[in-house]
Amino acid sequence: MTKAGNWQSYERVLLPPVENLHHLDVYRAHGGYETLKRVLKELEPQEVTAQMKRSGLRGRGGAGFPTGLKWSFMPPVKPDVPRYLCCNADESEPGTFKDRQLMEYNPHLLFEGILIACYAMSLNACYLYVRGEYASWITHLEEELAKMYNANLAGKNMLGTGHCMDIVLHKGAGAYICGEETSLMESLEGKRAYPRIKPPFPAQSGIWGYPTTINNVETLACAPLILGKGADWFAGIGAEKNPGPLLYGISGHVNRPGVYEYPTGMLITDLLEIAGGMRGSKKLKALVPGGASVPVLRADMIEGVTMDVESLREAGSMLGTAGMLFLDEDTDMVAFLRRVAHFYHHESCGQCTPCREGTGWMENLITRIDDGEGNLRDLDLLLDLCDQMEGRTVCALADAAAWPVRNTIKRFREDFERRCRPAVWAVNA
Amino acid sequence: MADFIRNPVVALPDPNPESYFSEEELIFTEDEKARIAGWVSQYPTSDGAVMWTLWLAQEKFGFLPPEVLQLVAAELSLPYAQVYGVATFYTQYFKEKKGTFVLDVCTCFSCQFCGGYDILAYLEEKLEVKRGHTSACGRYTLQEAECLGACGSAPMMQVNNGPYAHNLTPEKIDELLEAMEAGKPLPFVSVTLPQDEDEMGGNRRTDAEAVEGYITPPRSERTQ
Ligand SMILES: Cc1cc2nc3c(=O)[nH]c(=O)nc-3n(C[C@H](O)[C@H](O)[C@H](O)COP(=O)(O)O)c2cc1C
Ligand code: SF4
Ligand code: FES
Repeated sequence: MTKAGNWQSYERVLLPPVENLHHLDVYRAHGGYETLKRVLKELEPQEVTAQMKRSGLRGRGGAGFPTGLKWSFMPPVKPDVPRYLCCNADESEPGTFKDRQLMEYNPHLLFEGILIACYAMSLNACYLYVRGEYASWITHLEEELAKMYNANLAGKNMLGTGHCMDIVLHKGAGAYICGEETSLMESLEGKRAYPRIKPPFPAQSGIWGYPTTINNVETLACAPLILGKGADWFAGIGAEKNPGPLLYGISGHVNRPGVYEYPTGMLITDLLEIAGGMRGSKKLKALVPGGASVPVLRADMIEGVTMDVESLREAGSMLGTAGMLFLDEDTDMVAFLRRVAHFYHHESCGQCTPCREGTGWMENLITRIDDGEGNLRDLDLLLDLCDQMEGRTVCALADAAAWPVRNTIKRFREDFERRCRPAVWAVNA
Repeated sequence: MADFIRNPVVALPDPNPESYFSEEELIFTEDEKARIAGWVSQYPTSDGAVMWTLWLAQEKFGFLPPEVLQLVAAELSLPYAQVYGVATFYTQYFKEKKGTFVLDVCTCFSCQFCGGYDILAYLEEKLEVKRGHTSACGRYTLQEAECLGACGSAPMMQVNNGPYAHNLTPEKIDELLEAMEAGKPLPFVSVTLPQDEDEMGGNRRTDAEAVEGYITPPRSERTQ
């Protein structure tokens, strides 16, 4: 028995197999928005937050911060001080594509979650920040949002309760850094998306300086489930310390890539099997378990490892966004790392010197090794560079760039050494 | 005067840039003004509406030269510098003229190892244009993109900042380009597939094969 329990008979709740669930009428026919109505009528806002705490839900945006706790950080309501919710749908972490699936197939679950969060924290508006590349899905969300307003499920005096809760769509324009919470806020305010120094944290000073909470799409979509089916039900799914349903985005050299919904704490080997195994019956070489920023695992490191915060930490990686990239035995890890470094160099906002220059030098050094012109000492130089970047910048992008570099070199050192010029030249060569 | 003031290290923007659009063209219609006002009303200050307005301007004018940025700034009563700053920060705002079709081929890591660079090379050859450039006929701009959030259907690309084309193969690209040439709607849908496509009548990729080695080395070019 794994942490995921009896996952073979798991019934999907985030992406249930219901046709046209994205239409408001279908969603309502399946009991949609009933939880919201009940919550508005029967529960006090603090009770909602307490339920969220009890459920044990941890944020699905990458950092894994307990959601109920985050909600309780909001300061007490003051008259005339607006407060906001931000939904982070900027999903740009390479290897991650779960939020889009959720917005495509079950957008009303997200909207319901947003409204519950607004109620729990006494907020009047939520900005839903969607990355600009998702233009087709923004149109899709706009249509469904309009239907909601027509049905008085949002806006002024929603559902006749006297509350006013607005959901505003914001379209990004292609910048990975906007996923970072403070950068997202700058972007919303119509500025260049430079991350801010924390503290002050968003709960004290967020958008336009007002108290703000920011959550990922999947996190908010869990709220109606928790309040509808009970915090204990939620806490009973999957891994004990990191419970709930989880969207696993599986990509790479597998037969059936895609988004799979299962409990947290699934064995990696089970997931590989679910995804149809490796293409062409090749052997697994490496796995990136949670998006480009998390340390890569060697095939021999995944035995018995489950997909939850604890187990992956013990294995030497992180859960991140649960976007899993499987790589087969033919994968060139140097080319892999070169592309990852290229990504971070391209996406660094340029505010901090260690990140702006560091990611550039990282790419240069790895490119040199990949082109066969690297020296063995370049590997140590790269590791030294990682030390110089980590923890010395405004936001975590520099750390996110350093982790994969450090760990790929450590864990696939032979692959790199083979491509480098030897340290000592033969005398008579 | 210090030397770096006379000879700045970085190229400064041209103070008198060439204008692409005439005075008459450079206006927002009443309709568009109403849409902009709608966006402005959703934020505490008009700053928040700048990204939506830039999107609108890009749709209308095709790209965002300085005079269009000035128009946006005037409409929102914001400093030109702020609008210029925003427009130059984000990759999806085009600062120079692009082809009729802008093809963003994802080559980020999932796509990289599922043949993204092969797709890019195939398009380079077929359209006779290098990545990052516009073809001589002015119809196609080919770009290398970072992860577009569709790694499960790699390799993929995005057309004109809009629809996605998933699970690309050379045949699929031929079909796509034919439709574009003929001015027909693109022969595919952006929708990705749910977990149980059999139940849902989806079409998850069945032709996935082991990549036996790449025709094109899966390598990014050094950023300049
Ligand atoms: C460089 C960087 C990029 C990020 N990108 C995203 C993203 O695309 N989507 C997301 O939900 N969170 C992203 N995050 C995490 C957010 O900062 C934030 O922790 C998260 O949205 C909080 O939501 P949660 O508590 O629901 O997980 C990113 C963080 C960093 C440092
Ligand atoms: S760490 Fe990098 S991305 Fe983050 S603020 Fe500094 S320069 Fe920008
Ligand atoms: S890597 Fe290409 S879409 Fe994510």
